[in-house]
Amino acid sequence: MSDDPTRRDLFAAVARGTVLAVLGGGAIFLVRKANGQVVWQVDASRCINSRLGEVGVEACNLCTTECVVALSAVRAVNEYSQCGRCNICPAYFNIASAVNGLGQPSEKLCPRDAIARRPIGKVDPEDPANNFYEYVIDEEKCDGCGKCVMQCKEPLGLGSITLRVRYDRCLNCNRCSISTACPQKALMQLPVSRALEPVGIERPE
Amino acid sequence: MQYRHVQTIDGQGALRGIAVDAHGHGELYAACDAEIKVFDAAGRLARRWPTARPAQSVAVAGDGAVWAGELGQIEVFDDSGKLRDTWRDAGLLRRVTAIGFTRDSVLAGDSADRAIRRFDRRGRFLNDIGKDNPLGGLLIPNGVVDFGVDAEDTVYAANPGKHRVERYAPGGELLGHIGRFDGIDPAGFTGCCNPTNVAIRDAIYTTEKAGPRVKAYDFSGGLLAVIATDPFDANCKNMSIAVDSRHRVYVVDTVKLAILVFERVSA
Repeated sequence: MSDDPTRRDLFAAVARGTVLAVLGGGAIFLVRKANGQVVWQVDASRCINSRLGEVGVEACNLCTTECVVALSAVRAVNEYSQCGRCNICPAYFNIASAVNGLGQPSEKLCPRDAIARRPIGKVDPEDPANNFYEYVIDEEKCDGCGKCVMQCKEPLGLGSITLRVRYDRCLNCNRCSISTACPQKALMQLPVSRALEPVGIERPE
Repeated sequence: MQYRHVQTIDGQGALRGIAVDAHGHGELYAACDAEIKVFDAAGRLARRWPTARPAQSVAVAGDGAVWAGELGQIEVFDDSGKLRDTWRDAGLLRRVTAIGFTRDSVLAGDSADRAIRRFDRRGRFLNDIGKDNPLGGLLIPNGVVDFGVDAEDTVYAANPGKHRVERYAPGGELLGHIGRFDGIDPAGFTGCCNPTNVAIRDAIYTTEKAGPRVKAYDFSGGLLAVIATDPFDANCKNMSIAVDSRHRVYVVDTVKLAILVFERVSA
């Protein structure tokens, strides 16, 4: 009888190794999670509201409807360094609404009125278009419905608004109900070291 | 006034600015990745030559010289692609996304500073256009300054953040504007920032993004025609536009990497 391993032995060894690696990896992951070292995060390149190329479709609001946290642990965040500070912001205004006497859309987009529009500096009384505007999202009002995100992304906007998990609200569930429901698999669990900045982005001066 | 889509020219790669030839021969010049391409009237690639840096824009002067706007410089070629001159200025020509000519000057749109630079024919800087306002420049969230010049040397600059095309004297004085925001009426410009590009011939021709749209206005701002909306990819933006002496309208589809040609339909 030969001492050489048979093909069956080889397969069995590989299978045992794989199972041990998966169990070991899972155990390490669970330990890290128990220690608060992994977090859920929205992948903007998968989320249909922010993913480029998806135009003319309704915003997805599963982050609002599926999250177990009141309103949702996912909120819209405006990264000011990327914002065009436009006079007419499609994430703030419903640009398909009738124009009012100021030459602006008469309706706002956000159903919860969670975005504030403020002129930067002194307003030109002759021409309000002669101004930059900052758009500040009130996270106490925002429920992460994604409408502003869909309207902000290119080519309509510049993509400065994205959905983000707010870690002061997220319960860090083992099975995030949003991730279970999301058809794009846009919610993913990452080590804290690879997660986006968990605190709010600084507002401009 | 109505138009129909009559031709699609394969850009054979990235396309930024386009320009028609000076003498009505039907040739079309395109600023591509790091080269200038020339297409004949049938849409065939007739010739091409490299630029020293990535080409952002192209214009053809009355003498047939081909001006290529680049990063930090402008290169001037003869019609066969032989380099005649290079204007370098790291401060005034940081990203040249449009070039035009008045009778006695050369205009360069510098998107890095949101302004149009005016030089004499030897390259000496004369003045800025579009900077003398509270915002310190044109509002171009999409990063492209574009403009056209009429036969009277009036400069028509797209100011998309204001939903306008502004008229300037060559010396920089704002003369007026056409355009307003409207998300419903096609006579208005919609979105955050439109029109992104403009061309001047017998009318003011504009392109918009989200959704892509090509229009023509008279010089008092009255809408003459919605030339096209449908043929373009919905994700297009910064669609360069040129109009030849026969009123054929050329527009870049920045996603399909093609130039779409539209012709006026006779009444």
